[in-house]
Amino acid sequence: MATMKFYCDAERCIECNACVTACKNENEVPWGVNRRRVVTIKDGEPGERSLSVACMHCADAPCAAVCPVDCFYTTDDGIVLHDKDICIGCGYCFYACPFGAPQFPESGAFSSRGKMDKCTFCAGGPEETFSSNEYSKYGANRIAEGKLPLCAEMCSTKALLAGDASMVSDIYRNRIINRGASTMDWGANYQRGSLNVK
Amino acid sequence: MTEANKNRSGIIRRLVLFVMMAMILSFTVVIPAEAESSGEIVKTSAVPNPGTELWREVRQRGGPVVGVTQVSGVDAGTLVNVSGENWRQFRVEQIIPYSGYLLGLTLLLLIVFRLIRGEVKIESGRSGHKIFRFSLNQRTIHWVVASLFVILGLTGIIQLLGRTLLIPVMGNSAFSGIASFGKLLHDYLGPVFAIALIFMLVSFIKGNFYKLKDINWFLNGGGMLGKHASAGRYNAGEKSWFWLAMLGGAVIIVSGLILDFPIFDQSRDTMEFYLVIHGIASIAVLAAAFGHIYMGTVAMEGALESMTTGYCDANWAKEHHDEWYEEVKDSVDVSSDVKTNNNEASINSNAQPGIGA
Repeated sequence: MATMKFYCDAERCIECNACVTACKNENEVPWGVNRRRVVTIKDGEPGERSLSVACMHCADAPCAAVCPVDCFYTTDDGIVLHDKDICIGCGYCFYACPFGAPQFPESGAFSSRGKMDKCTFCAGGPEETFSSNEYSKYGANRIAEGKLPLCAEMCSTKALLAGDASMVSDIYRNRIINRGASTMDWGANYQRGSLNVK
Repeated sequence: MTEANKNRSGIIRRLVLFVMMAMILSFTVVIPAEAESSGEIVKTSAVPNPGTELWREVRQRGGPVVGVTQVSGVDAGTLVNVSGENWRQFRVEQIIPYSGYLLGLTLLLLIVFRLIRGEVKIESGRSGHKIFRFSLNQRTIHWVVASLFVILGLTGIIQLLGRTLLIPVMGNSAFSGIASFGKLLHDYLGPVFAIALIFMLVSFIKGNFYKLKDINWFLNGGGMLGKHASAGRYNAGEKSWFWLAMLGGAVIIVSGLILDFPIFDQSRDTMEFYLVIHGIASIAVLAAAFGHIYMGTVAMEGALESMTTGYCDANWAKEHHDEWYEEVKDSVDVSSDVKTNNNEASINSNAQPGIGA
């Protein structure tokens, strides 16, 4: 089986936020929740870079380790999913997650937390595949349709890559090699020129 | 093995190591050479992944890096949450197991102590005379705080230890129902507990200030070392429990209120910190509460009734709170007081004599 991974190429991301919008639309994500976000560092300064982040579907997920009700599971494709019927909305996964992936809609009195919502790699959830329950709780199940997550599929610069880890890394490695080759041909120091590293 | 053999085997080992190192190094040289021969490009060289520098930077090794994002949310501009890993490890590897051990050990110690010591009887038997000890207000506040404490403690322990202890027994969908309801109770009753504890502080603070002679009570081990430990209205152990409950309670309440309302954009670092504080303080107070509940209920004859009926037996007071007994015995007509019967005593509990509180 595959091991699904996202990778965002910071040299290509142009902070268009199309991935965020695509995700929200495809999965009908609850109000106030964004499963994916684009973060720009050094905005407006030399060396500005943007990265699109969502759940990274960790092999040894901290959210799953810290969850007090053990609602996380990993699919055969290496996708980390959770069961909203079991989630109690405690927020611990959000504190433990390195990427800030888990999100909480506000619900109930005093705007307390609802059930956690996060990127599913467009793989639905534990409900019956393509059922309305699955769609309303977890969003689309594009993986079951043989498609990749929409955020990556429609990334205009192909900065955001999604798919089997070995294929994603092959694509990225080729890019790096080709970029290195072309910049060397131009006689430019790629690393210094584009990354502004001392 | 002779000295020469040893030397020889050392040389062989070094030689093997050298050959292996040479092989590893030659591979790294071979790879770019292959790339040169297969492709048109001649000037290929090792190109570092530009992502590594970026990720190193956002992991905040050199101080916090906060970016900008169109998404609004707590810490949305932070790419990597560096404290989460530490918090998770501390919670899963330290707080959860050690709080389990502490609570279990406390229970075990109480059981062992009970088996050794047995029930502490009123040595001279019941006198039949009752002395007023806790007013209706005090008793009401005590039991309100006590019920809230038990509910909050139980739901908190479920949240903390449930995954380890209950999920293997009942499965996670059944446990989720309990934990979900428990979390609701915990979140809603927490602020009520905060108010109740303020009432408790006010109504029980009188008589709970330490006095110099309380040292003697500690030195005598609270009477457990065989020697009698004299005490006033509250003995030094009760005073310690009072202050532990109040100060520990304050820490639990302040941290709890911060955790209870995540709508004020508290950062993850803040929540992690107060979760640790809340957990440690709660477990400490819970362990002490086990002791208090044991002492107040089954440990000794005649202890519970003063908190249920408001009256204690005169002989119990004489044996456990001798200095207090000396103070109050003159101001109350012992002989004309209520009978031992609890029902009669509870009727009289509404009449509030001038002593107590």
